[in-house]
Amino acid sequence: MIAVQHLTKRFGRQTAVDDLTFEVRVGEVLGFLGPNGAGKTTTMRMITGYLPATSGKVSIDGFDLIDHPLDVKRRIGYLQENPPLYPELTVRRYLEFVAEIKDVPARRRAAQVDRAIDRVNLGEVRDKRIAKLSKGFKQRVGLAQAIVHEPPVLILDEPTSSLDPKQRAEVRDLIAELRGDHTVVLSTHILPEVSQIADRVFILNRGQVMAVDTPARLAERLRGREMVIVEVQMPQSAADSHQSSVVSRQSSVDSRQSSVVSRQSSVDSQQVALAREAFEAIPGVSHVVVDPSSGPNLHVRIESAPGTDVRGDVAALVAARGWRLLGLKNESLSLEEIFLELTKDEP
Amino acid sequence: MRHAFAIAKRELRSYFVSPIAYMAMTMFVFLSGAFFSNMVVYYVRQAMLADRQIEQIARSDLQLDVPSVILGEFFKNEAFILLLVLPLLTMGLITDERRKGTLELLLTSPIRSAELVAGKFLGAFSMFVIMLLPTLPFYYVLHQGGAWEPGIVAAGYLGLLLVGAAQIGIGLFVSSLCENVLVSAFGTYGILVALSFVDTSASLARSIWADFIQWLSFFYHYVNFSRGVVALGDISYFATYLVFALFLTQRSIEAIRFKRA
Repeated sequence: MIAVQHLTKRFGRQTAVDDLTFEVRVGEVLGFLGPNGAGKTTTMRMITGYLPATSGKVSIDGFDLIDHPLDVKRRIGYLQENPPLYPELTVRRYLEFVAEIKDVPARRRAAQVDRAIDRVNLGEVRDKRIAKLSKGFKQRVGLAQAIVHEPPVLILDEPTSSLDPKQRAEVRDLIAELRGDHTVVLSTHILPEVSQIADRVFILNRGQVMAVDTPARLAERLRGREMVIVEVQMPQSAADSHQSSVVSRQSSVDSRQSSVVSRQSSVDSQQVALAREAFEAIPGVSHVVVDPSSGPNLHVRIESAPGTDVRGDVAALVAARGWRLLGLKNESLSLEEIFLELTKDEP
Repeated sequence: MRHAFAIAKRELRSYFVSPIAYMAMTMFVFLSGAFFSNMVVYYVRQAMLADRQIEQIARSDLQLDVPSVILGEFFKNEAFILLLVLPLLTMGLITDERRKGTLELLLTSPIRSAELVAGKFLGAFSMFVIMLLPTLPFYYVLHQGGAWEPGIVAAGYLGLLLVGAAQIGIGLFVSSLCENVLVSAFGTYGILVALSFVDTSASLARSIWADFIQWLSFFYHYVNFSRGVVALGDISYFATYLVFALFLTQRSIEAIRFKRA
């Protein structure tokens, strides 16, 4: 339905979108995910024909954007990040106007406006001026505007940003209802959203696609390993006390008390090395990262092979060494972390 | 052109809910009425004085054409008032669409940019015509006074429509360049004032340049209409301004798309 080939946009020396190629099938929901400035909006503006591409081709339903711009535009419903509203008009008048400029024949106009109003539940405010509506309603009017001419393709740029969580859920449900009738491309920087609605996710960063997959597979692909986060408190003299093989309960309490006084700053490098060494010795552990900047307590990230669970061993080790275990949890990478992982700047 | 009418209709609808349009209209009607009544009073008094003098020297065949003098002066004033008022109508034409993000809606709709420009112009021009309507009763007043100069009235209105159209065209172009309505309004004032009164500087120039500078001026061409003279040259002068301004607007809108938002 949507075919994009080698789409590139440069603003002066800056490349906003870099050689993007993809296709979206009929009825599919494609999600663009990326930080601000990743090129999501620019890409959408090029597909809708607002922004001329520096190079590359866009075609919708077989119509090339450059050769048949009007045919392409007729087939697209587009909701920008800030809905394009005329606040002085009533909802109905506004939608009638949009239907008219989107080439809905006069005899079908009233019916399609009513249908759009019904679909996004705007019935109660249909004769109110848009200026008087709440943000959530305005967003719905924006959505109604995008579907009023019943286009096969919907392009939605951050349709839920700037809404509160309840409104966000409502808009999300609306989009979920619209799928099937429409091929949808939507962008967001809210991760759970994209995993709920999209069939396929593009992670964009600096105008380039970092990853393409279904939300589930994307998470799986990057998980590939187990992770345990441990927070421990080591006595100041941990290194020394470890040397003496017999540690009486009493003395360890003493040393702990004294350590509370002395340990205002952070853990020393000796302790960091000791902890790393100790945790790496646990069977199955592949990688240990000690965060040295975490105050008086040590935060340690322990990664192990997929399918293993090292939590028991970790707890036993900490106890055996006479350290205090403050926290222990199993982490699997969320889409959020995948996203951060993929879009983080190379050092 | 169907789209152009849709856009014009929407524009007109928006004018009627915006305070600025009402303010502009009120200002126009009020100033027109004030000038008109002042002029009628002034010239009638002058005419009465003149009549008495004529009687004294007993030349009863001398006729004073009071209505055409009044109309001539009145139409000159009207063009001047338009200069103050029309930029208020045009300042937001494209600027507002840009600010509200609706320009993106229009440009991603199956509309040609020429239709968009035509629609915008038609919307503002219709508003201008509506604004002129309240001045019609003035001629009824003159008619009641026994004077009726339909030729001058028709020519005067034709001139007003033409000069208004050219001014709206220029205002539309300026508004396509600006992202702020105030900048748009004052930019338009600047250009319109310059174009209207450039002929006063013609006396400083010599020969062909004087003629050319004079020819550029709105008022130089408009004055003929207010005297009841309709010349093809003057009509095409205003038409040229309008077409050129609309063409520039269309180019300018295309250029907006290349800019980074």
